[in-house]
Amino acid sequence: MGNFPGTLEGAFRPGVSARETVNQIFSPFLPDGPTMTAPSSALVARGLTKRYGDTVAIESLDLDVDRGVVYGFLGPNGAGKTTTMRILTGLIEPTEGEAWVADTPSSNRRELVDRIGLLPEEPPLYDELTGREQLQFAADLRDRSWDDVSERALAYCDALELTGDLDRRIDGYSTGMCQKTAFVQATQHDPDVVFLDEPTSGLDPRAAKTLRELIVDLAAADTTVFLSTHILPVVEEIADEVGVLHDARLVAEGSPEELVGDATAGGASGPDAGEDADVETGEEADLEDAFLALTSEPEAAWQS
Amino acid sequence: MSGANAATATETETAATELTAVDRLRADARDAGVLCRTELRTRLRHIRGEPRQLVANAFMLLLFGVGLPLLLVAPALSYGERLASGPVPAGQSGAVVAGVVAAGLYLGGAGGFNQNRTGSVGPLVRTSIPPRSVALGRLVSETAQASVLVVPPWLVLLCVVAVGAGNPLPALLLALATLPVLVASLLVGRVLGDVVRFVSRTIGLSLWAKALAFFGVTTVFYLGSQSLIQSQVGESEGLTSFSVPPLLPGEPLQAYAVAVLDPLGVAGHPLGLLTALVVLASGPVALAVALRVEAGLLSFESSESSDERDVASGTRDVPRPFTVTQSARVAWRYLLRTRRDPRMLAHLLPMLFGAMAMGASFITDPESLLLIGPGALVVGGTTLAGAAYCLNPLGDDSDQLPLLLTSTRSVGVLLRGRSVAGAVPGLVLAVGIGTPLTLYQHGIRAGVGQTLLALLLAVSSAGTALGVGALVPKFERREYMNVERSHPSTVAVVGFFFGGLVVGVAGLLLLFGTLGGASLPVVAAGWAVYLLVVAVPPVAGYVYAVRKFDALTLDDV
Repeated sequence: MGNFPGTLEGAFRPGVSARETVNQIFSPFLPDGPTMTAPSSALVARGLTKRYGDTVAIESLDLDVDRGVVYGFLGPNGAGKTTTMRILTGLIEPTEGEAWVADTPSSNRRELVDRIGLLPEEPPLYDELTGREQLQFAADLRDRSWDDVSERALAYCDALELTGDLDRRIDGYSTGMCQKTAFVQATQHDPDVVFLDEPTSGLDPRAAKTLRELIVDLAAADTTVFLSTHILPVVEEIADEVGVLHDARLVAEGSPEELVGDATAGGASGPDAGEDADVETGEEADLEDAFLALTSEPEAAWQS
Repeated sequence: MSGANAATATETETAATELTAVDRLRADARDAGVLCRTELRTRLRHIRGEPRQLVANAFMLLLFGVGLPLLLVAPALSYGERLASGPVPAGQSGAVVAGVVAAGLYLGGAGGFNQNRTGSVGPLVRTSIPPRSVALGRLVSETAQASVLVVPPWLVLLCVVAVGAGNPLPALLLALATLPVLVASLLVGRVLGDVVRFVSRTIGLSLWAKALAFFGVTTVFYLGSQSLIQSQVGESEGLTSFSVPPLLPGEPLQAYAVAVLDPLGVAGHPLGLLTALVVLASGPVALAVALRVEAGLLSFESSESSDERDVASGTRDVPRPFTVTQSARVAWRYLLRTRRDPRMLAHLLPMLFGAMAMGASFITDPESLLLIGPGALVVGGTTLAGAAYCLNPLGDDSDQLPLLLTSTRSVGVLLRGRSVAGAVPGLVLAVGIGTPLTLYQHGIRAGVGQTLLALLLAVSSAGTALGVGALVPKFERREYMNVERSHPSTVAVVGFFFGGLVVGVAGLLLLFGTLGGASLPVVAAGWAVYLLVVAVPPVAGYVYAVRKFDALTLDDV
């Protein structure tokens, strides 16, 4: 466990001053920090930085995502995608910077919960409940009645061919079924912004296709979808905008076509820039080429 | 090929096979050594890195290394004197050996049943080195860890016996008698623990049936052993002349002790010699069986227990009384999950054992059960109300935190839900069973008073437990009693149990003092102080927990 404010855990370690110890234990009783003013957009980040000691997870990240957009968030492993998503959903606090989701500061979790839905990489489900009980529980957590959300939830379940298994316990579910349940859980309350971390992970091709269609439908209904995935064809197919994170920084942003165009035109630096565009063979470049170009080290650094 | 050549070829093949087997054994031992060293090193680092672990382990070492020998100094001195001054005291010597056997069986059994690291590290270990090496490595590492609790008091007590005897020879002979018994009983206990684990995995019973069976067997075993001990202590003059009865297994143990402690007359103790042979043989045999069973269990457990997973269950809607508030609906889900998997309450086992220890007095005085039973139900039930779900409120849900923290405006609803969930079984015990018994035993006034006290204490218990859980949350998963989850801090559980006991008993004394006609000013002052004690910690605890968990982030986990 880390330094949890208000916890004895770690409070008496060597090097922790008495003042820090007291602050750590009693911080829950201290008043909250200042509140921020909200810009008007589905998702805005200004100078978001997160450091863990000397390690920089994300640095000076600026984002502007419009409503009703599927925003593909790409980056190599460890680039800072999950950290960004956690900050935007209020699960962790940035070291510096601010973020707003649907006009609500991401630090204001109390207000944020009504506006967002989250599908993290590990589906947060209770093994002992059935799928239907899990969805009902998720509705209860938001103080929404099942009657309110069930029509939408069951429609998604139908589309994902999950309805027949809803009355089975989750500990008997396959990985894909857990993923489907967690997707429905994240979207059944009609949030303004949905955060999806690898949503097609563990899904068979048919379910993955259905899920992509559902994501497009969500965006068409004015829900903003923040989609983090390594499956580039998915992003290329459904994303309206793409942001590429590399070494904790946003190195490119635009529509998939723009990114591909930039890469093939040599807009991106690095040894792999446009490498797979295979001008010689005449094959068209795709988002994967652009991604490889954008996330490669600069030539000098690469050669050294 | 001629017959002679064929025979030579067969011999060569056999030799090659033997060599391979030897090599394999060597490789297994090497792998086991690596695993054992890694586990011990990891354990030491874990203890060194966590101040709480350091304190808890130092406390345990003091308790076993100093506290236990101090308790037994007088009988050990007296035993040493008797060893040196006359014929070997058979009863006492048998009791010493029986004590070593009991300690070894308990620690070995607990190690076999309560396997560590079968969860997160397990799959890696299973697929990295052969199962036999895993079993051997774990057995050695866990036996070494258990020995830390057994060896210091054993050595100290041997020294005390030597002091009592006035020379070291009786103590050395006693060491010679008890060491093989300790090793053998640790290994036999390990086999028993493994067998229980194997049976619990394979038997076609529901988790609740298994839990009840475990509870029943533990109760019978505990009460039976207490009954036996108390009957012996009652007949003798306390611990200084405590002995085991000349019954199986007492008689062979006495004979064994006498045979080893009186080596010159060993020929006159055929039963002792036979027992010594059994002791010496049972160690290697138990080791071989334990390795085989544990290696088998490793591959068995990795395929997951089908009987626990494959439970047909329809969806249960939230029933009427729980539909009234959001917290009550949340509470229903905790109860439902517990109904389907009672292992959610595994952290309550120390309380169960504590309650059993206190209930031992009922054996010698069964009539007291009726007298203090209803009060005990109030104390037990109200302690349960807090301890069941509130001692590690969000740590318990660590895997679901991304859902909980992005779905609830305040974690208060979860905390209140947990309080309500705990109050259900707690009040069933305290009021549902306790009140009718009190009405029958003590009349209406006592029944009403006790019910009000139970309601007050249930609320107090839940709020206080939330505060304790917020102060020492545990988010990391660990294995306890073969259940891997984020269990509450053991110190918190035990401390809460004793705190609940003191506050509950004080309330009952005050209640019956009031009903008994104690002077009004004393009663009023007593209740004023008592209400302060049962009101301030829960209110502060709840507020603290809400503020703190509302500020919780995944960086804290």
